[in-house]
Amino acid sequence: MNHRLVQWIWHVKGSLALAPGQTSDEVFARLDPLFRETGTTRQRDGSRLRFRKRDQAAQDRMAVFDGGELRVERGAEAPVLRYHLTSRALLFCFLAPLMFLVVARLTVIVGEYNKPTPAEIAAKEKREEAKAALPMSPIDTFLGAPAPEKPKKKDPKSKDDDDKPRPTAAYVFAGIFSVLYLVGRIGQARLVRRLFTARLSTL
Amino acid sequence: MDGVRVGKRVIGAQSPVTVGWENIPKVQGGPLRLFFFTWFQPTMLFALIAFWYYAPNSIAKASTAVGIGIGFKILLLGLEWLAPRHESWRLTWKELTVDLFYVSLGYTVLRLIEGFIGSDAVIEAVQTSFDWQKLAWFIGLPLLLQAFIISFVFDFGQYWMHRGMHNWYPLWVTHAPHHYITQLNVNKGAVGNPVELFLIGLGIGGLFDFLPRAALLAGSLGLAVGTYQHINVRFNSPRWWRFLFNTTEHHSVHHSRDFEASRSNYASTWVVIDRMFGTCVDGEAELLGMEGGRPMSIRETMVYPFADGWRTLKERLGRRSVMPAE
Ligand SMILES: [Zn+2]
Repeated sequence: MNHRLVQWIWHVKGSLALAPGQTSDEVFARLDPLFRETGTTRQRDGSRLRFRKRDQAAQDRMAVFDGGELRVERGAEAPVLRYHLTSRALLFCFLAPLMFLVVARLTVIVGEYNKPTPAEIAAKEKREEAKAALPMSPIDTFLGAPAPEKPKKKDPKSKDDDDKPRPTAAYVFAGIFSVLYLVGRIGQARLVRRLFTARLSTL
Repeated sequence: MDGVRVGKRVIGAQSPVTVGWENIPKVQGGPLRLFFFTWFQPTMLFALIAFWYYAPNSIAKASTAVGIGIGFKILLLGLEWLAPRHESWRLTWKELTVDLFYVSLGYTVLRLIEGFIGSDAVIEAVQTSFDWQKLAWFIGLPLLLQAFIISFVFDFGQYWMHRGMHNWYPLWVTHAPHHYITQLNVNKGAVGNPVELFLIGLGIGGLFDFLPRAALLAGSLGLAVGTYQHINVRFNSPRWWRFLFNTTEHHSVHHSRDFEASRSNYASTWVVIDRMFGTCVDGEAELLGMEGGRPMSIRETMVYPFADGWRTLKERLGRRSVMPAE
């Protein structure tokens, strides 16, 4: 498979045009507060800055990234800032739906293995029936709450079995995390770009 | 920091905690806003109770409750977004994603494990062998009273389990990861090591058998009250509400970085249980977490009870072997 496409899953790359004459010292000085958060280590090497984030705080504006590299390069007319960031959160979110598909499959298998015996089902039905037959409190009758009704006898062959664990929740979460991934991959790339732009344009 | 004396304890000596209702800020804004944030909580509670009380049998089912629960949480997430209590508790994409991951475990993997080890089957067996006729008197009680008893007894068990977790190391290691959260948001209640959820589930609740409608009513108390433990929204909760029920304010004190403050407000729904046993502190805190607010990754959360338990065990055994034999 295309290596770059695989990388795109959790690598965020981009470039920003800088003002003509802006030096790397100036650029990194302006971006510096972003790398002064707790858990962040940075290493400046001329026109290159590398950083690593560990246990980043929830409100760290770059919390979603665990590390990366920023470079100031010479452009045709003005210098350019190129960045390459990596995010384990994005990778994790990408993989989560696959995990839920496995869980859905396992839920079905375990459900088959744990099927209640006919005797268990009968005992439970009997108990529910007896409970429903008990008189309701006169207060509830007066206030008009619906009386409990006797549970319908279930057709043992019917597929609509309430007791069986369903894989629905796992499928729903696979969907939720797919959407979250797309929102995150696109949104976080935009946010960090906006963050850099804002820092570089303030005086 | 001096802290404030509450009973025999000094609260807020290590990390800021606001003590006393009179010191807690109120919702600011126009009359409509004030009306909304004053009446939202009681209205929702009474609406849910009325709904479950009168819903026809065909609707009064667990699946409806799951749907209402999800809808209610989405509504609250919307409120958090529109009217955050603290900017420092803002929900970010990463926080939301991580929170939802823990929520999803509860709905999928933990159910799967429960099904596999058959803890449902155990409860069922206990219920079946138990002579329910002895509980017939309970089923004859008015529905709302039944619901109150279910909710209160369940919370009572949870109170002691939670208090035990804060006082006994083997239980604490399962609960500690939950205390590493640094902000309160709607889904933060699910964040923590899964072993803890099994322990909380061990409450006496599973051994009772009741009418489905009473259980649904009790559940709506948990939803319309317990959910506010973890939320980044400020409400002007009525006095009676704050007296009886746990609130964001109470629970933020419990999550404070201040050690003494964290040893209060253990109940989940009925904070009045804390009042009964002298562990209630009325107040709020913004700075939350452990170890000065160090966040805990998902991986560390999953292994923490075992890793920290092992580390402590080794330390203790090591110390013992150094000591001269007597
Ligand atoms: Zn706790």
